[in-house]
Amino acid sequence: MSKMGGFGLGVVALVALLGTSAPVTSAWAQPAKGLIRIGTDVDSQSLDPRLMRETTGFRAINLIYSALIQLDDKVSPRPDLATKWENPDPKTWIFTLRRDARFHDGRPVTAADVVFTYTTILDPALNARFRTLYTPIDKIEAVDEGTVRISLKEPYAPLLSYLDLGIVPKHAVEGGRDLNVNPLGSGPYKFAKWKRGSRISLEANADYFGGKPKYDKLDFVVVPDNTARAQAFEAGDLDLIQSPLSPRDIKRLAAAGKAAYAKLPGIAVTYLNINTKSENLGDPRVRKALAMLIDQKTIVDQIYEGTDQAATSLLLPSLAWSYAADVKQPAFDPAKAKALLAEAGWKPGPDGIMGKDGKKLSITIGTHSEDPNRVQTVEFIQNVLKQNGVDAKVAISDWPSFSGGVQNGRHDVGLMGWVALVDPDRLMYGQLHSAGGLNWGKYSNAKVDAALTAGRAAASLPARAAAYKQAAAELAEEMPYYVLSYQGFHVFTDKALTGFVPDPRGYLRSLAAK
Amino acid sequence: MRRALRNPQLVAGGTVVLLILLVAVFHPFLAPYGVEQMDMANRLSGPSAKHWLGTDNFGRDLWTRLAHGAAISMSIAMASVLIAGTFGTVIGLISGYAGGWLDLTLSRLVDLFLAFPPLILALALIAVLGPGPVNVTIALAAAFWTQYARVVRAITLAERERDYVLAAEAVGASLPRILGRHILPNAAGPILVLATLGVGTAIVTESGLSFLGLGVQPPTPTWGWTLSYGLRFLRSDPWMSTLAGLTIMLTVLGFNLLGDGLRDHLDPRGVVRGIRKNPVS
Amino acid sequence: MLAYTARRIALLVPLLVGIAVLVFLLMHLIPGDPARVLLGDDATKEAVDRLRASLGLDRPLPVQLWLYFQRLAAFDLGRSIFQSQSVASLILARLPATLEIAFMALLISALLGIALGVAAAVKQGSPVDVFCMMFAQAGVSMPVFWLGILLMYVFAVELHWLPAIGRGEPLPSAIGAAFSGRPEVLLKSLSHLVMPALALGLSNAAVISRLVRAAMLEMLSSDFVRTARAKGMGEGVVVFRHALRNALLPVVTVIGWQCGVLLSGSVLTEGIFGWPGLGQLAVNAIAQRDIPLVQGVILTFAFVFALVNLTVDLLYSAIDPRVRLG
Repeated sequence: MSKMGGFGLGVVALVALLGTSAPVTSAWAQPAKGLIRIGTDVDSQSLDPRLMRETTGFRAINLIYSALIQLDDKVSPRPDLATKWENPDPKTWIFTLRRDARFHDGRPVTAADVVFTYTTILDPALNARFRTLYTPIDKIEAVDEGTVRISLKEPYAPLLSYLDLGIVPKHAVEGGRDLNVNPLGSGPYKFAKWKRGSRISLEANADYFGGKPKYDKLDFVVVPDNTARAQAFEAGDLDLIQSPLSPRDIKRLAAAGKAAYAKLPGIAVTYLNINTKSENLGDPRVRKALAMLIDQKTIVDQIYEGTDQAATSLLLPSLAWSYAADVKQPAFDPAKAKALLAEAGWKPGPDGIMGKDGKKLSITIGTHSEDPNRVQTVEFIQNVLKQNGVDAKVAISDWPSFSGGVQNGRHDVGLMGWVALVDPDRLMYGQLHSAGGLNWGKYSNAKVDAALTAGRAAASLPARAAAYKQAAAELAEEMPYYVLSYQGFHVFTDKALTGFVPDPRGYLRSLAAK
Repeated sequence: MRRALRNPQLVAGGTVVLLILLVAVFHPFLAPYGVEQMDMANRLSGPSAKHWLGTDNFGRDLWTRLAHGAAISMSIAMASVLIAGTFGTVIGLISGYAGGWLDLTLSRLVDLFLAFPPLILALALIAVLGPGPVNVTIALAAAFWTQYARVVRAITLAERERDYVLAAEAVGASLPRILGRHILPNAAGPILVLATLGVGTAIVTESGLSFLGLGVQPPTPTWGWTLSYGLRFLRSDPWMSTLAGLTIMLTVLGFNLLGDGLRDHLDPRGVVRGIRKNPVS
Repeated sequence: MLAYTARRIALLVPLLVGIAVLVFLLMHLIPGDPARVLLGDDATKEAVDRLRASLGLDRPLPVQLWLYFQRLAAFDLGRSIFQSQSVASLILARLPATLEIAFMALLISALLGIALGVAAAVKQGSPVDVFCMMFAQAGVSMPVFWLGILLMYVFAVELHWLPAIGRGEPLPSAIGAAFSGRPEVLLKSLSHLVMPALALGLSNAAVISRLVRAAMLEMLSSDFVRTARAKGMGEGVVVFRHALRNALLPVVTVIGWQCGVLLSGSVLTEGIFGWPGLGQLAVNAIAQRDIPLVQGVILTFAFVFALVNLTVDLLYSAIDPRVRLG
């Protein structure tokens, strides 16, 4: 007589089975020898370097393909396929290629492939996301099999930093190979397998011109939830995780000390996009007052728990040559903010909310739901604004709705970010030059335009730095952008993983060392 | 009534539900702090004399937030059930009574909505309508109205052939009268059971939507929002998520027990038994 | 029976058409633009317009709908905007994973539910009864994402008994490997499945346990069983051979309804456990406005759900001839 009977017994047996086969470092946590499991937050959508769109794609593509140059961890260009380069006049660049690079199918990499890559990415029909980075290129031609010349329409100083674009094999693409799902490069790792939604597997390229990489296999393992990814790392199911991570998890993992931890100043910013064309925000005094009501320190210290760095202006400390600490955005100062608002005609009403000509100072602050830190930040900002007389509301929606609104100039204030800022031009020209393609708010300021154009054209770093300093100073007064923080970049690795050098963009080239 | 009091599920569930409703209604008097009163220096503190349930990630008093949340989550859940129940019942009555092509068409409409996984339908609707408590209510109603339609249709089909209905028809009673006075009372029991259980489902679904970052906007303190926020801090400060989660769990438990207890009384034939869908977590 | 089946299958067509239209409308009503999402932060106006044109998004809605139906008729679900692959191949790649987790969740909920229901019924009124029902109810009342994260924390991070994320070898090939002398492959697959399936299945266990308990109570007090007892049959035999078998009837129907619920719940669970299934695919596709993909996934859900319901209805009538179909 048994209540449990067959079924119950079965359940108990299953649990027992699982229990007994679990010596503490469960068999499934043990990495296969020579396999590094890299945790990542999204699945890649394309492994064609010309069409890459999201972080996982960038990092995988960077391992599969070689490029003219690579950016090191200080964001400086280093030779890759190009062994040397010359800049005989501001509109011409000449690259000498190495002759021993081969694609993973054995064919040599030649100037024709380089020309093909850049010509196709510039083709509007390809709809490449980063096409605008290369539009100043007028012509690219193969001088001979080992030399490439790029001719520009006008001087374009940032060009070199954008030339880490993976070179694709002309013969394969023209032969019909779909690089989106079946990549073919000449980099240190070969593409092995792609289990969509869960895992991208790469294998070491034994014939790599830089020497066979030390680690035989690399897997990108997709775990969308940040907390779950951190937990998986702690459980030993992943060997490497990087930002984006929840600040709590970063603190906890760093304090636990069981993993190797590296924190880098990143090359990304979190900022408030202030729509200068929206009803109440056209007056720069109101925008400045708004900036003075952002308790930046509390946000960075409490919500981001110090994992990012409070920003002073549009200049990034990690781009050291361009950084000027004396350019400063308005600081948190509610008294000054109220004074400034009064100057602009806004007086507190009976309910404490600022009003002018019978209208309330109403502002909507939006962000996208996918980033919980940003959601918290917006909730906090709204609270502080409300306490200081601004009728602030929160609007959170998913990325397409939110970004669609901002990109159509239908927002008041939006909390967003910019990443991969390898050059100050990348953060400022497209976004804040009146002719910039990313200037969704149609901000227009002649002084800024002049400074940004000069920054592009100037030949020497000091001259460029001076131009950007000028632009940043003017923008700090005008406040179309309030930069909240310079995003820190955090990496945790298994202590057994040697030779890894963290990179502010999360690139993993150092894993490819011999 | 006496019999009702002897049913432990009914009593337990009823008590819990009553308590929650009382908190929801009287929360302004029960909450010592302001709902939006932040105190960043004291974030995520556990229960103490100053803060009975501790504080949330902005240092706001958790008891205040949860009490206020009771009002909001309950209003949304009950409103969505009211809408879903009314709409579903009407469709079910018409479908069951009219028969023929009207029944066929309406049944296909029901099938259409049934074929959508509820959470995904709610997701898509919120994406279309935009966030906010009203839209969440509509989305939840749209995701769950079909069960009322199905149950009521089944009952209507059964009752339609009964003598008293035929008699009413013969006498020339109007349609609303037949449906409302004669058939509907037979469905009232099962509908009430469904509705009670449905409130629990709505609460849990709303929390799922908040977890996905959609739904009601902050700083509105729905329980789902508090839970999903709290989970970010699970490892270091488990109080916030645990207390929010327990609140949801106890409330839903209360409604489920109440619903089950009601079922023993009002739905002895078990019409709801095989047909109801259980809550989506 | 055959006629009924044929009719139900025939009715699937207008259902799927209806769903296709509904999804099409929804996706086009949702604000946000896949072209813009595709081009990301670097979306200039001309780039967006160009991309929209190449995706056919600038044509009038009725035209787009017509083109979509034309393709559907040829069983072509179109191409994902974001993933550079055909929708059909993306779905087929993920469908087994979702089916696996749904199947396991059903199995767990059935096993648990039956165990709890039987225990509660046999010991009716005792603390065992109360405990079983409370346990079941608790499962229903917990939000699944909370349960999932807690399970992962306890079993993977703290105890290291189970892997935190991901999926092992697909069950069919894992079972095959087990038979050819490599049981560890199957164990690995099961270990990855347990937590997400448990998180999903726990709520259904409650429903099943309630049903089983009620049905068992009816059976245990029925003449049929009393006769068996009077004849001197052992209690265990009575419970299992006679009562339980009949109590399983309602379970079968419930299983059908659970499917839609499982598909819903899997949306949340898959994200937490990194399980590469359709639920995650759907959420991501909606989040990106990948219109063809969303349409394809929802049609697949609907189709699977309808098939399951049909199977359940047929099964039910096969088991219990008293049930009249239609």
